[in-house]
Amino acid sequence: MIKKRTRRTWTHASLHLAMLAVSFCMLLPFYWVLKTSLTGENIFVYPPSIVPVHPHLFYYIDVWYYIPFPRYLLNSVVVSVLSIAANVVFNALAAYALTRHFRGRGAVITVLLSCMMIPFQTTIVPAYLITAKLGLLDSYLGLALPTFSTIVCIFVYKASFEAVPRSLIDAARIDGLSELQIIRRIMLPLSTSAVATNIVLSFIWSWNNFLWPLIVVRDPLMQTLPLGLSRFLSYHENTTGALYAFCIMVLAPGILLFLMAQKEFIRGLTSGATKG
Amino acid sequence: MRSTFLRILRHRFVAVPLLIVVAVLGWNAYVVTHNDGIVRGVVLGPDGRPLAGATVTMMEQNFTTNSDRGKTMTRADGAFEFTDNRSHNIQLRAEKPGVGRSGLVVVRLYFRAQDVTLREPLRVTKPAG
Repeated sequence: MIKKRTRRTWTHASLHLAMLAVSFCMLLPFYWVLKTSLTGENIFVYPPSIVPVHPHLFYYIDVWYYIPFPRYLLNSVVVSVLSIAANVVFNALAAYALTRHFRGRGAVITVLLSCMMIPFQTTIVPAYLITAKLGLLDSYLGLALPTFSTIVCIFVYKASFEAVPRSLIDAARIDGLSELQIIRRIMLPLSTSAVATNIVLSFIWSWNNFLWPLIVVRDPLMQTLPLGLSRFLSYHENTTGALYAFCIMVLAPGILLFLMAQKEFIRGLTSGATKG
Repeated sequence: MRSTFLRILRHRFVAVPLLIVVAVLGWNAYVVTHNDGIVRGVVLGPDGRPLAGATVTMMEQNFTTNSDRGKTMTRADGAFEFTDNRSHNIQLRAEKPGVGRSGLVVVRLYFRAQDVTLREPLRVTKPAG
């Protein structure tokens, strides 16, 4: 009995050690970026210092003042908020439809799954032409439009909606609720993990989006943070500290949102993965 | 009712953004009350005593360039003051004909026009040779 327990303890300890080693490998680049943003140390310095030497925040202040960072931040926030709101609503509507039985449902699901394999780069010309026809170039709506609905997020909702007991929906319908009210009052409150997953994924995709804003934006004041970062790179190649500080400032909101919602995010991604 | 409100307030999706908003508002309040652009300091001569009549030049530093932002003279006690700094990254140099000049001192500030009193004096030294 004691032998069995000792073996289990050793297994747990070695598992944790392995996980610590993997975590260390994954976090090391982030640590290095953070350290360089605080010291400005050239990344080619040998031997590299592991601990930051004379750290300070002035590179962050340089980034804030030397480029229109607050404006880029505002643009990114507005576009992300639009994208999140649209994803939460539109994906829920699409997913609810896919949980209903109708003729051609299988074909619709097949088409959606097939579309996931088409990279955005191949559809960028028609997307640009449509946005231009709508008169949305150089606008927040135009920037957010292609990220309004994502197929992965539709399936995250679908998996979560399918876990809601059928009897509950039937009871709601008998009580006189319309389909939209069923989504709003029954499905969404019971699928908070799927909502969180939608929020996190749509935020990260929209926040890090580079190619679409690069094509659709002409006005420098409408640029988002990733565009600002590339512009910053082309202007100031030799400012290592400020460049890394900029990277941290771009990454921080996404990391913060993920850390806040990680429990719901993982639950949302894994719901529907197992039956029963 | 009160417990529900407290529960919502303690939720991380409410508490974290709220804390960020409070921190930003607090920082902005501090900035507004400390951004008159005042830069104070003292210039010492080669003998280590306050140097009167020295010219102190303030330069604004950008990523790649330095631009002259103004000059002022030290008083009898060696003290000087600029009241129109609008940058967060400045450089100062003191000089007096016949006495010498100081090295370029970089002053980094946490926000534009931050009021600052230099902890270290500008030391004017005789030119070498």
